[in-house]
Amino acid sequence: MKKILVTILFVASASCCTRHASAQAIIVNPSVKATEASKAELREIFSGAASSLKDGSHVTPVLQKGGAAHEAFLTSIVGKADAAFRVSWRSLVFSGQAVMPKNLDTDAAVVEYVAHTPGAIGYVAKDSGHDGVKVLAVH
Amino acid sequence: MKRFLAIAAAMLMGAVVQGHSQSLDELNVQIHGYATQGFLYTTNNNIFTTKSSDGSPSWDEGVLNISAQPAQKLRVAVQGRYFVLGNFGNKITVDYAMADFKANDHFGVRFGKVKTPSGLFNETQDIDPSYIWALLPQSIYPISSRNSLLSHFGGVAYGSFVLAHKLGKIEYRGFAGQRTLSSDDGYFVNQTEAGILLPNGTHQNMFGGAIHWKTPLPGLMIGLSNIKNLKGSDTVTAGNGAISGTQSINTFNLPNYFAQYEKGKYMFAAEWTRIPVGGSLALPPVITQPIHLDLRSWYVMGSYKLTDKFSTGLYHGESFDRKATLGAARYSKDWAVAARYDFSQFIYAKAEQHFIDGTSIGYDTNLNTGGLKPTTKMTVLKMGVNF
Repeated sequence: MKKILVTILFVASASCCTRHASAQAIIVNPSVKATEASKAELREIFSGAASSLKDGSHVTPVLQKGGAAHEAFLTSIVGKADAAFRVSWRSLVFSGQAVMPKNLDTDAAVVEYVAHTPGAIGYVAKDSGHDGVKVLAVH
Repeated sequence: MKRFLAIAAAMLMGAVVQGHSQSLDELNVQIHGYATQGFLYTTNNNIFTTKSSDGSPSWDEGVLNISAQPAQKLRVAVQGRYFVLGNFGNKITVDYAMADFKANDHFGVRFGKVKTPSGLFNETQDIDPSYIWALLPQSIYPISSRNSLLSHFGGVAYGSFVLAHKLGKIEYRGFAGQRTLSSDDGYFVNQTEAGILLPNGTHQNMFGGAIHWKTPLPGLMIGLSNIKNLKGSDTVTAGNGAISGTQSINTFNLPNYFAQYEKGKYMFAAEWTRIPVGGSLALPPVITQPIHLDLRSWYVMGSYKLTDKFSTGLYHGESFDRKATLGAARYSKDWAVAARYDFSQFIYAKAEQHFIDGTSIGYDTNLNTGGLKPTTKMTVLKMGVNF
């Protein structure tokens, strides 16, 4: 009985963690050669510290204004709250080091933009449609 | 009154646009900005050329930033600023106006009037919305000289490399050009009030570099920078222009060593610098005197985000001139306790209490005619809006 309970708990926690880790999908325009990216790479890209993935693919990030995918992305990839995340982008803009990434309202808008913009990279809820974009494996 | 109306209008505009910064898609043009209104109160002494011992709202700022990205690797940007703090500023200046070509993550260049990437905060010291602090540590980032030290005419080369064996990442900057300290810069305020003017300010040719090592420990960055200021001389006048002479400054190095650690809701940082300046002031036949100072300055700071909207922080900064005579005018020590509340993504308020010991930073003669008391408590309040 004890063994069964432990197994159930293990399966339940694994399932919970898996759901959290894959709450959002990282999508890129099909022109981007890369098929995978590490969390560290994505953190650099979406914080403005880098503009290309490890394989040399140049990418331009697009953000969401809010929502579940945005919150999940900040928590699991960037490691910052929304306010701190936007403050760091403002610092880059006002110090002349970057332009503010495009901010879109919905998953659908992000998919649409990424699909039609060479080099674009964004994040959407995993269960949203992915027509015309490529999903990166995140490790 | 006119000034307050201008700032109020800027704040209103910021509130109205509510972050819908105008992005002109076809031209990739973006417009951003911010405006702040500060208030100073000191228990002793008047600081930053304001009548702060009576309470002074004479601290306003408005910034407009326009950038465009006509090609993937090319950006152009210009940023203008209206700044007034007591008798400082009260004019519009250009923070930077530059073209940036980024070949890849390893190499990029900027030309024009560009921000000088020295120290931990020099490039960003003017960006009020970025900080919990109403005033950065004055020991290294004096607000009365901020506009002069922020940028230079010339160029910056920059890039980054990921180190092998998971040793982290190196970000580098190399820069060269000419930096101008305007005639009303804070460094010259007491000299100016004594009737000795630098009508054209000072022009320093300089070059330097900076290295930021993002260590394998996530959130920890260790860095150093150095600026080599080359020997130069500038015109100086006295007696309302009746006497003319030269102020010469010898070549000197301006090193900064710094570290920053950010993890979750915490941020810690520390920085040390030295400003060893030698030269001479010659106004024959009246004055010929050497200039010598050797400032050693540092600070440590920490902040904590209590909630998404409310942050607190504490720092201690010190500066002392090893060449100065003993006394309170030789040094400045400052404890600051800060709090910031973000009403929304675009509007925030800051409150800060300073406990200042020593008189070497921030004071002028004309507004402290009765002499300076060695210690002062200073309260700072600030409202800001950005878009």
